[in-house]
Amino acid sequence: MNNVQRVASSALTIAEMEARKIRHDSTELWMRCVQPALWLLIFGEVFNSIRSLPTGGFSYIQYITPGVLAQSVLFVAIFYGITIVWERDVGLLTKMLSTPSPRISVVVGKALAAGVRGIFQGIMIFALALVIGVNIRFDPLDVLGVFVVVVLFAMCFASLSMTLAAFLKTRDRMMGIGQAITIPLFFGSNAIYPLSMMPPWLQDVSRYNPLTYVVDAMRSMLLTGDYSGLPLDIAALLTATVLFIASASILLKRLIE
Amino acid sequence: MTATQPLTTGTSSEWVGAPLAIQVSGLTKVYSDGTKAVDNVSFSVDEGEIFGLLGPNGAGKTTTIKMITTLAKPTSGSAKVFGVDVRASPQEVRQMLGFVPQAISVDGDLTGYENLLIFAKLFFVDRQQRKKRIQDALEYFGLTDRANDLVKHYSGGMMRRLEIAQALVNRPRLLFLDEPSIGLDPYSRRQVIEQIKELNREFGTTIFVTTHDMSEADELCHRLAIMNLGKLAIMGAPAELKKSVGGDVLTVKVTGPRPSSFPATLGSVVSTEEGIIRILTADGEKAIPRITDYLEANGAVVESVSLNRPTLDDVFMKYAKAPLQTEGSFQEARSSRRSIVRHAR
Repeated sequence: MNNVQRVASSALTIAEMEARKIRHDSTELWMRCVQPALWLLIFGEVFNSIRSLPTGGFSYIQYITPGVLAQSVLFVAIFYGITIVWERDVGLLTKMLSTPSPRISVVVGKALAAGVRGIFQGIMIFALALVIGVNIRFDPLDVLGVFVVVVLFAMCFASLSMTLAAFLKTRDRMMGIGQAITIPLFFGSNAIYPLSMMPPWLQDVSRYNPLTYVVDAMRSMLLTGDYSGLPLDIAALLTATVLFIASASILLKRLIE
Repeated sequence: MTATQPLTTGTSSEWVGAPLAIQVSGLTKVYSDGTKAVDNVSFSVDEGEIFGLLGPNGAGKTTTIKMITTLAKPTSGSAKVFGVDVRASPQEVRQMLGFVPQAISVDGDLTGYENLLIFAKLFFVDRQQRKKRIQDALEYFGLTDRANDLVKHYSGGMMRRLEIAQALVNRPRLLFLDEPSIGLDPYSRRQVIEQIKELNREFGTTIFVTTHDMSEADELCHRLAIMNLGKLAIMGAPAELKKSVGGDVLTVKVTGPRPSSFPATLGSVVSTEEGIIRILTADGEKAIPRITDYLEANGAVVESVSLNRPTLDDVFMKYAKAPLQTEGSFQEARSSRRSIVRHAR
């Protein structure tokens, strides 16, 4: 095996580990569907009747479905820093890193596992959208594209979370930072209202918010069918993902030294 | 206490040409906050040996292991595993070893079988061999019946055995065990110790073990090094170390005032605590009446005297000039491991 094969093989093993855990107990996955359901059913329904937001001709509930999907994936992914700190606190991380598997494969593996959970969130939200009759494009290629974005996005934020874990090192701090990051990212993006409604300074900030690109990509595939922004969205997301995977892999040793 | 005093004649120097499992020289680790966790440590371990690193919590044992297993970078000095430098080829080194950390290193949310499977894959064990190695490991540690149960339902002893099994799917030439019996009940502890010895006997696996438990080190290790405050105090076979202390240890129970000084001709005081004085003396039987007389002449009332052979405790006292382990911190380590288990459930 060459190095690339080793990384791929070990990353898949780490992801498999997570998948097996979910298979033994999937309660958490189902619990994580409650919040997006509430956003769509309550927030979405209430604001649906106002019709004062410039949502580009779509109903509000249509408009926020991609945003809610992105948010729920974000919440899943940001939790991976806590997982890695937990695995450090018990001896699991130390033991994994004492195998010949390269360090980066632990990060990529965890990130992939976040992607798997993200896919599950996607399926649930699509199912929910069908049940409550949200009109989104169910074109197979678009749906596939959304899942690709979901996996990339989950990997991106799982790696960011693991990067932060290398500095913060305790579960309590990670819980705190998780809250402190997700809420501003969510409200500072185009997830539940268009950027044009924001004050100019927030518009500037939101342009550096990966969530904005994710929601834009999902919206173009699920609602508008206008793919002109897609290359930029994907490029921005891919850059951030590679960057965070690299930083988490390099910094991971801070957790065990 | 700066230089390590070699005591054993059977050390590596005699076995010229034999492969050294571990060769460490001048190993030092200074953490970013300035703490010198390991201070210029040198030693070597022969292939097939059970080598123990004995010392109190915080002595630098775990940091030493982490540097040899490539998990932490040495600040200076070098470490080689079967001739391979840990800094130059960390991946190659990790391929040869197994490491069982002190804390829990199995995943409670997976079955015993799955825990072994994951590690077999992380060790890049060949697909054809994987199943057999896992079955062998389960059988060896008596876990076959429980292989498909979630590990969070295992007892502490079973968990520990699974942790060792996990490191063994790699068939390592060198196995590191960090405090292998910590937090175990006496029965499980015995089982684990026996299995470690058998592993060494049967497969010739070189074993590097850290412990703060003297009786465990005494019975398990062919050779051991005593570590305190980041430095090696002394190294040798347990029997020789004890012999080097010289003579007997008298444990004297006294009440009333104690003399502030003690004449060197009678022996040397190794420790005093709450009415118990431990005195090291050349010929214990002859010394009993003289020491009793001396103490009573100085106003103390001698209640009892017992004579013992020196233990590793006394070895530690003599060379590291500090008590090895207080009961308190041992209890602490135990309860913290227990609470982790509880959390994991």
